Amino acid sequence: MFEPVLTRNIHRPYSEKITTYLEHGGYNAVRKAFAGTPEEIIDMVKRSGLRGRGGAGFPAGTKWGFMPKDQDIPKIVAVNTDEGEPGTFKDREIVERDPHQIIEGVIIAAYAIGAGRAYVYIRGEFFLGVKRWIKAIADAYEHGFLGKNILGSGMNLDMSVHRGAGAYICGEETAMLESLEGKRGNPRLKPPYPAQVGLFGLPTLVHNIETLACIPHIIERGPEWFAGIGTEESKGPKIFSVSGHVNRPGNYELPLGISLREIIDEHAGGVRDGKRLKAVIPGGASTPILPANRVDVPMAFETLNAAGSQLGTGAVIVMDETTCMVEIARRLAKFFAHESCGRCTPCRIGSVRLYELLDRIEHGKGKPGDIETILETANGIDGLTFCPMGAALANPARSAIEHFREEFEFHIEHKGCLVKAVYSS
Amino acid sequence: MAKTVTIVVDDIEYEVPAGMNLVDVCKQYAGVDIPVFCYHPKLGHDGNCRMCLVELATPRKNPHTGEMELAWFPTLQTACTQKTSEGMTVRTKSQKVIDGRREILEFLLSSHPLDCPICDKGGECPLQELTLRHGPGTSRMYWEEKMHLGKHVPLGELIYLDQERCILCARCIRFQDNIADDPVLAFDQRGRHQQIITASSPGFNSIFSGDTTDICPVGALTSADFRFNARPWEMVQVATICSHCPVGCNMSFDTRTDREAGGRTTIKRIMPRQNERVNEIWICDKGRFAHHHMEHPERLTKPLIRRNGRLVEAGWEEALREVTAQLQHAGENVAAIAGGRLPNEDLFALQKLIRAQGSHHIDAYPPVRGGEFTASVGVGVGTNLADMGSGDAIVVIAGDLHEEAPLWWLRVKAAAERGAMLITIGGRETRLDKFATHSLRYDYTEEVATLNALLGCMKLTGLPRSVDGLKEAVKGARAFKPDKAIKDAAEALAGANNVIALVGHEGLDGQGSHNLAQAVANLLMATGHFGRPNNGLIVVWPTANGQGASDIGVRPDYRPGYQRIPVPGMGYTDILAALADNTLRALYVVGADPLFDDPAAEQALRSTLGTIIVQDMFLTATAEVADVVLPSQSAAEREGTYTSGERRVQRFYPAIEPCGQSQPDWLIIQTIGKRLGHGNPSPSAAAVLLEIAKTVPQYAGITYQTLAEVEPQIPDVGGEDLYYGGTAFRNRHGLGVQWPAAAESGGALSAHPVEAAESIEPEEDMLLVVPITLLYDAEPVFHKTSLLHGRVPGPDILMHPEDARYLDIADGDVVRLSIDGKDITVVVRFDEQAPEGAALLPRRMQVQGAPMAATFATLVRWDVEALER
Repeated sequence: MFEPVLTRNIHRPYSEKITTYLEHGGYNAVRKAFAGTPEEIIDMVKRSGLRGRGGAGFPAGTKWGFMPKDQDIPKIVAVNTDEGEPGTFKDREIVERDPHQIIEGVIIAAYAIGAGRAYVYIRGEFFLGVKRWIKAIADAYEHGFLGKNILGSGMNLDMSVHRGAGAYICGEETAMLESLEGKRGNPRLKPPYPAQVGLFGLPTLVHNIETLACIPHIIERGPEWFAGIGTEESKGPKIFSVSGHVNRPGNYELPLGISLREIIDEHAGGVRDGKRLKAVIPGGASTPILPANRVDVPMAFETLNAAGSQLGTGAVIVMDETTCMVEIARRLAKFFAHESCGRCTPCRIGSVRLYELLDRIEHGKGKPGDIETILETANGIDGLTFCPMGAALANPARSAIEHFREEFEFHIEHKGCLVKAVYSS
Repeated sequence: MAKTVTIVVDDIEYEVPAGMNLVDVCKQYAGVDIPVFCYHPKLGHDGNCRMCLVELATPRKNPHTGEMELAWFPTLQTACTQKTSEGMTVRTKSQKVIDGRREILEFLLSSHPLDCPICDKGGECPLQELTLRHGPGTSRMYWEEKMHLGKHVPLGELIYLDQERCILCARCIRFQDNIADDPVLAFDQRGRHQQIITASSPGFNSIFSGDTTDICPVGALTSADFRFNARPWEMVQVATICSHCPVGCNMSFDTRTDREAGGRTTIKRIMPRQNERVNEIWICDKGRFAHHHMEHPERLTKPLIRRNGRLVEAGWEEALREVTAQLQHAGENVAAIAGGRLPNEDLFALQKLIRAQGSHHIDAYPPVRGGEFTASVGVGVGTNLADMGSGDAIVVIAGDLHEEAPLWWLRVKAAAERGAMLITIGGRETRLDKFATHSLRYDYTEEVATLNALLGCMKLTGLPRSVDGLKEAVKGARAFKPDKAIKDAAEALAGANNVIALVGHEGLDGQGSHNLAQAVANLLMATGHFGRPNNGLIVVWPTANGQGASDIGVRPDYRPGYQRIPVPGMGYTDILAALADNTLRALYVVGADPLFDDPAAEQALRSTLGTIIVQDMFLTATAEVADVVLPSQSAAEREGTYTSGERRVQRFYPAIEPCGQSQPDWLIIQTIGKRLGHGNPSPSAAAVLLEIAKTVPQYAGITYQTLAEVEPQIPDVGGEDLYYGGTAFRNRHGLGVQWPAAAESGGALSAHPVEAAESIEPEEDMLLVVPITLLYDAEPVFHKTSLLHGRVPGPDILMHPEDARYLDIADGDVVRLSIDGKDITVVVRFDEQAPEGAALLPRRMQVQGAPMAATFATLVRWDVEALER
């Protein structure tokens, strides 16, 4: 049985309190980190093989290494709690139930890169999360973990919380920085990357909650322990948010590399009502759909890419045999059309066009040739957009057609749903 | 020489500057047009339209073999966001690129109304052009799913937005944010619901709003002045020069013969004409929209003669006979006041006539001096404000460029943003101070003292030997005590590579403006900033051709070409006094309206027994008291030249038929001259310029031909391809000729110490009132354009709240002010930016018939009496 690390505290009573956290060894990693030099900390994170948990999977240690070494330049840590990827609810649980774990990770990261300021950007709808964040930061100040001369180390760090106003794209790091600056949450042109020009023009380290949660454990247990978990290119524990047609939806902390089937069958209690599995979205709404015959794929960055999808945020959305894939594609397209920031042409207009085509097919108004138009439109969006959202919004329709083309053809030909036809007879 | 790199565009190698924008490089060096919508060389990149997609590769070391290889990006890249680097390789014509661009255009068109047949942009529309070249012939999308949005959404009364046509490229927003510094446009909503909105009240509150209609790459932004007025291909572009301020913006009158106008040619719109050294591709809204006076029904069409106390229409023969008789009678007791907006040809003819009569009593109105200094140490030939940047300094003195010369404001601000040091010296805060590195404040009357103190504390290592009297001038300046701010500015200025000084005349009379310009010239001469490009003096004249008027000798102290007159004639103020005591028998006013502006003029002109001859386009306030009124032509009806504040002589062309029996000013004047026996009129305006070139040494060699010469300009924004949007930018008709100052042509230079002005101490219940110039005012040449009436501020006096409290006046009080025994009433408006100890009164604010008046550039003292609470 895998021993949970990131979620080890969340089921304890009053797990969000600093006293609970301290009782169970909290903030020891900070003391340990202060004993080493910033370079040693960065080296540890590099050796751990930790990759970002927000979706892109960029090596965390490399990112830290990009931060300028010049001590005269103020630097910032920006904490991404915008968790907007449909199907994902891991960060929310950590923030609500174990916020000090993140603060500890932030302090260590700030120490390593020489930052004196940390900003938390949190999704506006996370009302409890906001409350918990604010309380946790206040308690951390009171206990001397934030503020001036933390634990006598001479290090200063201030931290505050900023609520987002509800845009999916603000989970993208540069859009989040724009929003933090009080502007429209639109992505920025890269380069320059946030490590050079980030928040308010200063070098900024942006991390996802789960990534930061890993940091104290890497310091405490050592990078070799962390690198010992997972696969060749995907190290460490990962929280998988399982939702959809399973018996026990929820967050499951498991080693990277575990098979998708094991997550669904062993941990999430299998497909509900004894139905057959039809398809899975393995990494949140923006990752391509996988058909049931690919569920033996190990959940790791490299293996999922090979299987034609992505690890993304590790949000597993399970669909059973009663699911209409046309409707799935339509709903996801609607979400992305709604969430387009509007800045660039292919996303602003293409997302709506894609949705309209899928909506026609779903409602029996599809015409022969529409499927090709969808694929061409999706390809005309992916790769032409300003930010990675182009790929995200093209993925659902493209993969649904790839694996379930007959359902789309049936919709067009019979002006009705194949799945309904099968299950209502 | 900038660093160069080798890049490959479509398999051909090019040597190009490093770090240059890839779209510009491809156009300039490879002759490859990469299509763009959101990119614009004046606005920089934004990367939102995705039209400029190319295949891109950069060299990279292979991690396995260690050898250099080309690494192609997996996806298409936007060229506008790329800067050239060594070995960069681009494919602009591959199938992948063609497909990508077609895809983008299909998306854009799928939500575009395709109403080209009724769209103002149709025919000069980048979206049309690029669709024809790169777009799909048909759409795969469903017509009924097209989104329909607002068609005539006013962003203000000047600019309308068609939301359907808008492709959300943000050029207008970026122009307002980054170039005009009026961030009044923004995006509202997100995704497909995103729209341009205005965030200001009144809507789209910017004096550069019209420029957004030019750079809009579709027909989304149109001006109330032009929309649904004509099709681009029907219009003839006639080159002209703006007549509103001394910048001398190059423009074109786009004209068409019009059924509504009975088959006459009319001006349908005004467009900027590219001149990278003058106005680049921008003009202000005054220049763009305030042309309606030219075709206004109130234009004078026939001469008027006063009969039995009333002005009645007369024939030219009768009027000319009357004028000739009066001038003959007056002999040398004649004076002339000319408007500084008159072209060189007219001014030359006028001074020639007056001097032929034996008089030197001639002056421009308003009488601002300084031309002798620009003629000696004016900015060097080849000066371009766009060249000013880091390490250079610009000094702006005694004026508000935003209101007095908007394009200079725009370009000085841009220079400051490029890193140029900006030193503002003035009696009050203006919009330029935000960008200034040093802001020096003086109490009005301390203008010269401040400049002297600045010169006095400069650490000078050796003075230029080419200037006489410099030692004495510097010694004189050392007597003035600098404060810390002045010392700081002096220290900063001492390190500047290039220095340009723009000197205004706020609060100053003729002598005051002369002294201030001398003080500034002393500073430039002592520091060696003259006689070369991007160094020297610019006078911010109150009118378009103030420089030309001075060059041509429309002033009592110099003949044409700055030949000093031993016994000068009377200047403006003395002319008024002489009229009042009837020592002058005749006054000839051409293109000026002092009575509108100046209470002192009113008294003199109404009381004099001398004959007043007024020559103008309108029955102005001055014309109403005239004995003979002669109708003259507007700049749109004839040809001529103006000399800009940077001493660039620029030519304009006739665009429309003359109004009624009106004649060009120079011809009327020369016809009168002939009758007085001073020789035959010139055959053409061109011949007058030839005579000017012979008489004024500085203008030697300048002809209508040389003024019509053009050369290719970078960026090329007016090409046939229309890639950068914009429509009538191309300059085919002449870039003008900048004449060399004496410092460049080996002339004598001299400096003179300048005495400080006497300070004015207001007595109790009195107030120092400083007239200020606003861009939008009530002057006829502006006010006949009703479109802009909503933008003219109220005729209010601006007062610092502290001063008002001291005088027990509240915001909004109506007060009676008494000047020269004449009462006027104005509303007091509190303004934190107004200086303490002086109230600001906008000039030329009186609407016709109202007893409101402001003085010309002098300080006056006013009684303040609160009338209402």
